[in-house]
Amino acid sequence: MNITVCLKQVPDSTQVKVDPQTGTLIRAGVPSILNPYDHFALETALALKEKTGAQVTAITMGPPQAKSVLRLALALGADRAVLLCDRAFAGSDTWATSYALAKAVKKLGKTDVILCGMMAIDGDTAQTGPGIAQQLRLPQITFCESVSVTGRKLAARKLIDGGHEIAEANLPVLCTMVMPHGYAPAQPSFLKIAQSQEKPLESWTAADIGADENLTGLKGSPTRVDRVYAPPQRKRGEVFQGTSAELTEKLLAILEKENFISHD
Amino acid sequence: MPALDTISRGLMLDSLREYAKRKIPFDLIRELDQKNEFPADILEEMYNHDILGIHLLLIPREHGGLGGSTVDIYRVCEALARIDLGIATSVFATFLGTDPLRVGGTEEQKSRWMRRIAQDNLLVAYGATEADAGSDLVNLRTRAEHVITDGKLSGYKITGNKQWISNGGVADLYTILALTPGGPSWFLVEKDAPGFSTDKHEDKHGIRLSNTAGLSLDEVVVPADRIIGGVEGQGLVQAQAVFGYTRLMVASFGLGCGCEAVETAIRYSQQRIQAGGPLSKKQGYTHKLIVPHMVKLEAARAFIHETALRLDGEEHGLQTEGAIGKYYATEAGNAAAEDSIQALGGYGYTRDFPVEKIKRDVKIACIYEGTSEIMEMTIYRGRWQEHLKSRGQFYIGMAAEMDALHSRQPDCGADSAALGLRALSVVLEECRAQRLTRHQHVTFKLGEIIAGAEVAAAFCRAAAAKEYNEGVRFDREAALAMSRVCARQTAFDTASQGMKLVLGAGTGNAEELSRAAGFAAIMDKTRGITDDMDLIAAKINETFRPK
Repeated sequence: MNITVCLKQVPDSTQVKVDPQTGTLIRAGVPSILNPYDHFALETALALKEKTGAQVTAITMGPPQAKSVLRLALALGADRAVLLCDRAFAGSDTWATSYALAKAVKKLGKTDVILCGMMAIDGDTAQTGPGIAQQLRLPQITFCESVSVTGRKLAARKLIDGGHEIAEANLPVLCTMVMPHGYAPAQPSFLKIAQSQEKPLESWTAADIGADENLTGLKGSPTRVDRVYAPPQRKRGEVFQGTSAELTEKLLAILEKENFISHD
Repeated sequence: MPALDTISRGLMLDSLREYAKRKIPFDLIRELDQKNEFPADILEEMYNHDILGIHLLLIPREHGGLGGSTVDIYRVCEALARIDLGIATSVFATFLGTDPLRVGGTEEQKSRWMRRIAQDNLLVAYGATEADAGSDLVNLRTRAEHVITDGKLSGYKITGNKQWISNGGVADLYTILALTPGGPSWFLVEKDAPGFSTDKHEDKHGIRLSNTAGLSLDEVVVPADRIIGGVEGQGLVQAQAVFGYTRLMVASFGLGCGCEAVETAIRYSQQRIQAGGPLSKKQGYTHKLIVPHMVKLEAARAFIHETALRLDGEEHGLQTEGAIGKYYATEAGNAAAEDSIQALGGYGYTRDFPVEKIKRDVKIACIYEGTSEIMEMTIYRGRWQEHLKSRGQFYIGMAAEMDALHSRQPDCGADSAALGLRALSVVLEECRAQRLTRHQHVTFKLGEIIAGAEVAAAFCRAAAAKEYNEGVRFDREAALAMSRVCARQTAFDTASQGMKLVLGAGTGNAEELSRAAGFAAIMDKTRGITDDMDLIAAKINETFRPK
């Protein structure tokens, strides 16, 4: 069985602030980490590898620095890693990213399971995983807490409003993973990190994956970002006390004053 | 296995920090500190190959380790010190204990013992210090007598006492310095050797998580192949050979402790509102308690990194540089921790906040592996020889290099560094002409002045470099402002303290000396230093945010 895990290097969001003047992210001194949802997807893939002997390939699209998340994946147990790195990919939105990743998955050859994090903590879109499935015309199961594979069938425990459901699909399939509450990502030992230097890590360009230049990067991105801004802080709510009748009167007066209701 | 690359170093540091975050929270550290307890289980996990395997970094690849470079090891030492200097010291003791073997061991010894340290996760202790033999090992009392069997040397019988030994009560293997008939030599002694015993864990001011104990060797017999290098009398040479390297590691302890303390103070100052605003926005606070320390620590980082790269580039020894790094960084770390208590006010004085403990811990870095005063002497001796050999041109040459740097990057403060180095050269020459180095005080003070001037020059080089090393968290504008402040302040200190030294111990005219040292030009360069400090304070607040 072949599993492909899609990873993203993100700024540690707990340390990022938005510059109120320029609306851009202040990234000075902010370390980059592997997106925690992707980290969980990777660990899910490695657990499947443990049970089934599957081959795990980690893939990411990004600048040369993104190589470090692939090395982390290799140190944790992935067998192979691919970095999609090309100026042609710069400015990609989720659709163009999905396109590039889908082309790379195709180039990898036979893939039975594709695992992605549910979303990246820097963009919060949750669109890339489903986008890849769409580009590859594959079934997808989103918001998975866990997955298991029996024969050519994958079963996933999927998070839904107010509970969970068990979904099944025939392979090949794509799943997006949600990490459990209090998840602590696994960290590799020094020895495994050193050994990861000898595992295969390739760098592919847009040409290597046969990407159409009109479908990658800014050109291939239908999304246009108008501006980025920090939402204004909400004013603290007001608490009223009194009898039900008094409070009703008070509430009606406020709703009327704020033009939510009218006597007309 | 190939040499470790930069990505590996980054991942190792991430793993170490994550491990510490989960397994060694501050509450646990504080409890162990109060109980004066060595966390054996934590060290065991840190040495466990499947969890961290941190000790593998110092073992050469050919002997089952990872062969970490000087840069790798100093970065890990810095990270360890930020977690807890006691734990860092315990790990470092294995680094240090292994060094005589690494430097002087025969291939057979290295292969056998280093492989055991790597595979069996042995804690090692370095046993040199005695009651009357600290920095001066001439008074070494521990003896190693020949054991003769069938007319041949079959072993050594070691008798003596050691004190202040890190890992003393918990190590599996000890490297012991003892006097043989052929001179001081290192021996490998295992913990269960008959006649070997350890004393109680010392009740120390700081690094209370590190086990420190005395050792007692009562006619401990070891086979002849346990003498490191196989030849008697090599002990001091083997000890000296690694000082450049080991002292750089202690320098990184000072750096790590200092940074942790100052960053705690910065985050506190951002949230502490006094007189209508956060302390982080008040010059009286930042320009006294934060900015000067951050500048010195970043200067120390530049020097440590530069020296580590030189050691990795096959430059041998670098004892003077090791001493400069240790002296400057540990004193900077100590001062930073002291002022961080002040910065937190009453909170800083309690055990609920980490700065009080960091202050107690970091003081040891100014003492062990050679006290600050021994460093001053070492620095003076090394550079005095260079001054004489070069007929006073050593620092003139460095000043010329700074001039050239200034023409390439006029914002890094290299012009001030050049003025400071020329003033230093004038002071040294005056000391030579007036034979002032007959005063020990003068020589030690020269050591201090030299350290400052060389670190400031290294900071200018680092700030002007195209790329910054991975430890630097500031952007170019901030780094350049810091190197300018450092160079200007240091040039002023070099000239003023140097002149005071010459006039205090010798004769001369203050005005003439001041002219020769270029003091007016140095003073002129201090213009704008307050603006730079304002900029640095703003950048610090941008870079570090409340956790």
